[in-house]
Amino acid sequence: MRKELLKVENVTVRFGGLVAVNDFSLNVAQGTIHALIGPNGAGKSTTFNCISRFYQPTSGRIVFDDTDITHAPASEMARYGIARSFQNLELFNELTVLENVMIGAHVHCGGSLPDRLQAKPPAVMRHIEEVIERTGLGPYREHKARNLDFGHQKLLELARALAIRPRLLLLDEPAAGLRNREIASLDRLLTDLVRTDGLTVLIVEHVMQLVMSISDRVTVLNFGTKIAEGTPQEVRNDPAVIEAYLGKEAAHA
Amino acid sequence: MDLQLALLFLQQGVASGLVVGSVYALLALAIVIIFKTSEVPNFAQGEMLMAAGYVALYLLVFRALPAWASISMTIVVAFAGAALFRRVVLTQVAHASGSPVNLVIATLGLSYVLKGLVRQTGFGDTPRSFPALVSTDSLMIGQASVTRLDLAILGTAIIVMAAFFWMFGYTKLGRAMRSVGMNPKAAQLVGVNLNRIHTIIWGLSGAISAIAALLISPKLLMTADMGSVVTLGFAAAIVGGFASLPGAVVGGFIIGIVEQLVGLFVSSRAITLAPFLAIMLVLILRPQGLFGGRVVIKKV
Amino acid sequence: MRILGLLAAMAGLIVLPLISSGYVVYLANLLLTFTVLCLGMHIVIGEAGQFSLAQAAFYGIGIYTSGLANTAFGWPLPLSVLASGLVAALVGLCIGTLALRMRDIYLALATFAFGEAMQWVFLSWTPVTGGPNGLRIPPASLLGFEIVNDRQAYPVVLAITILMIWATVVIARSRLGRAFRAVRESEVAALAMGVSVQTTKLAAFALSAFFAGVAGAMFAIYSTYIHPDSLGFQTTILVLTMVVVGGLGSFSGAIGGAIVFGLISELLRQAPSYQEIIYGLILIVFMMFAPRGLFAFIGDNLKRFARA
Repeated sequence: MRKELLKVENVTVRFGGLVAVNDFSLNVAQGTIHALIGPNGAGKSTTFNCISRFYQPTSGRIVFDDTDITHAPASEMARYGIARSFQNLELFNELTVLENVMIGAHVHCGGSLPDRLQAKPPAVMRHIEEVIERTGLGPYREHKARNLDFGHQKLLELARALAIRPRLLLLDEPAAGLRNREIASLDRLLTDLVRTDGLTVLIVEHVMQLVMSISDRVTVLNFGTKIAEGTPQEVRNDPAVIEAYLGKEAAHA
Repeated sequence: MDLQLALLFLQQGVASGLVVGSVYALLALAIVIIFKTSEVPNFAQGEMLMAAGYVALYLLVFRALPAWASISMTIVVAFAGAALFRRVVLTQVAHASGSPVNLVIATLGLSYVLKGLVRQTGFGDTPRSFPALVSTDSLMIGQASVTRLDLAILGTAIIVMAAFFWMFGYTKLGRAMRSVGMNPKAAQLVGVNLNRIHTIIWGLSGAISAIAALLISPKLLMTADMGSVVTLGFAAAIVGGFASLPGAVVGGFIIGIVEQLVGLFVSSRAITLAPFLAIMLVLILRPQGLFGGRVVIKKV
Repeated sequence: MRILGLLAAMAGLIVLPLISSGYVVYLANLLLTFTVLCLGMHIVIGEAGQFSLAQAAFYGIGIYTSGLANTAFGWPLPLSVLASGLVAALVGLCIGTLALRMRDIYLALATFAFGEAMQWVFLSWTPVTGGPNGLRIPPASLLGFEIVNDRQAYPVVLAITILMIWATVVIARSRLGRAFRAVRESEVAALAMGVSVQTTKLAAFALSAFFAGVAGAMFAIYSTYIHPDSLGFQTTILVLTMVVVGGLGSFSGAIGGAIVFGLISELLRQAPSYQEIIYGLILIVFMMFAPRGLFAFIGDNLKRFARA
């Protein structure tokens, strides 16, 4: 039995009178890829933002590696080893690829004053170069993030998150807007990160091709409530899921 | 200080505070409508007021035009000038760089240009007094002495604010403005012409500043530096939460009264410090302002 | 090539007082002071993207701290320069802690109001500032020598400037400098990378106050008199204009802007009535057409010209 790295326990989020997420629970096992899917407005992003501590749940608990992080500030997440990407790209646009990734390693550049003053701390640079190579951003190292094409900007989001050296990687629609070839390489990269580096990934995604291929488990949300959970195969055949996505008739067809 | 005197000061302070406060409220309103819709604190608001004051002075005294003509021309000029600045300058600034800091710098630039221009005309080199259009005979309300002019100022300011709130709350234009303030993208989707609304808002803000100028000028010595009165408008806006229109109005009255009370109870020199102290107090005690709502979460 | 240029500039700066008139040396001191002021503003606006409008107030705090350290305590020069920076930074820390609790624009507004309030303090606190009469600044002393004129002050002023330029470079390349730019570019992403956004903003603000305080101490080395009138919003705008002319966010621009526009503003003293219009127009026109500053603007156009 694998250890549960992330536990979301009975989380409810209300915005005014609107219930965005309703009594939602989720366990993510260490060393797995767990996908969170559902139709638009199902509450996936809200849940995701609660875990990365950008939103505060109205009630419920979030536990990471046996530590309650329900009230921890968002800026502490990197130190816990939780990294996230952003759905609508939140890159440091005017900075170079290298600088973007270096800021990802912010929490590893601490220590004594001379360490903090170093422009390129050697211990950190090795890992940064590795991340840049692995994500295929090497040739663009000195390009400004703003000038990259969309596919590479998405990769830079991922690279920057990896520079945190996370134990849990939260990805918000990493494949949205990518071409098939790019999705295939993202698929390879994520699988490799989990299999060889032991990373744990929670991914919110609409691109089913990717979800079905990489996920160990899939959780389906609709109207803020969990409607199904299981392996990709189980979820694909679940009538409730088909109904949520395609409407009632399709489920009974 | 004995109680009798303190009570007298209190009444006088509140009375004169309401009068000047009504002008600060107008100024705060002019600042907040721009900020609400474009997230830019307009640092030229005070100089827009100052320039409008000099336009009125020129028409009324040097051209000897009748009051109604001078007043309406001043308001029209202020509307057109502010709208033009938004349309020509700020559009281009936003086009050249997306940073809001640049827009703020452009408004600082405008404030200096206006100040310099007024000095260049020669009207701004000596302090001038603006003729009162209403008699300055004083009358007593309770133990406070106010002039007819004071009452006219307060009355006009309240009428203008009422008209503004009616426009903002109940007309098609007001609805469009509110929608731009809440969600510009959605407003654009439902057919609101963003550029046009922003231009009108700037014009309106200029016109309100002009009215504030007409109201406050008779009570001050006019100089090219009189735009510094804007500090009080900003203080009022901050007290009100900076994004709330009713907050701006209440903030204006609070600042007006506090300023007058400080003047009476402490010293007239300490008045300069009043807006700063008010801003700091609000920041310490209630950083979202008295009327600020909860913090809006940025969608990520 | 770059190193050669730098060496040439250094050599020029060192021999300057030997070959020029007293006025030129005075001007050089003034421009170096403005350079440090601009570096301070560059850190808070250019690097961290936070808008502070109290540079003149911190500059004033530096001048008076220095004056006080000289007369009342008789501190040695390095100590009084350091004290000027630290006192300014401390005051900045207090204002910043309050102003940065809420929306970003509060910093601009609170610092604006703070600047006005400080000018009032400078005018009223007669025992320290001389009030409306201004203050005679006693000569500073270094290692037992009294610095009595511009020529003697110049090497000290130059040394401090070089030190501050070096500090700016080190900070910009450090972890803190990266955090500044991260906050400027995207606060949410910075948060997710573990940058504490509030602390970072506060650090930028306090650092910029420190630079302004040191600039004040530099002024006190070569000047004999200060009046609160020259410590108002006007001076903040002058520094802002310099940074804008040089290019917001560009380190060399901040220095270039201080020198180029410092010279222009010195020329403009001949026509004081046009000063305001010209400063204002420069701010507007640069924001409209050359938001990245004069040097980037010339560079871009040269490239375009070369291609055509």
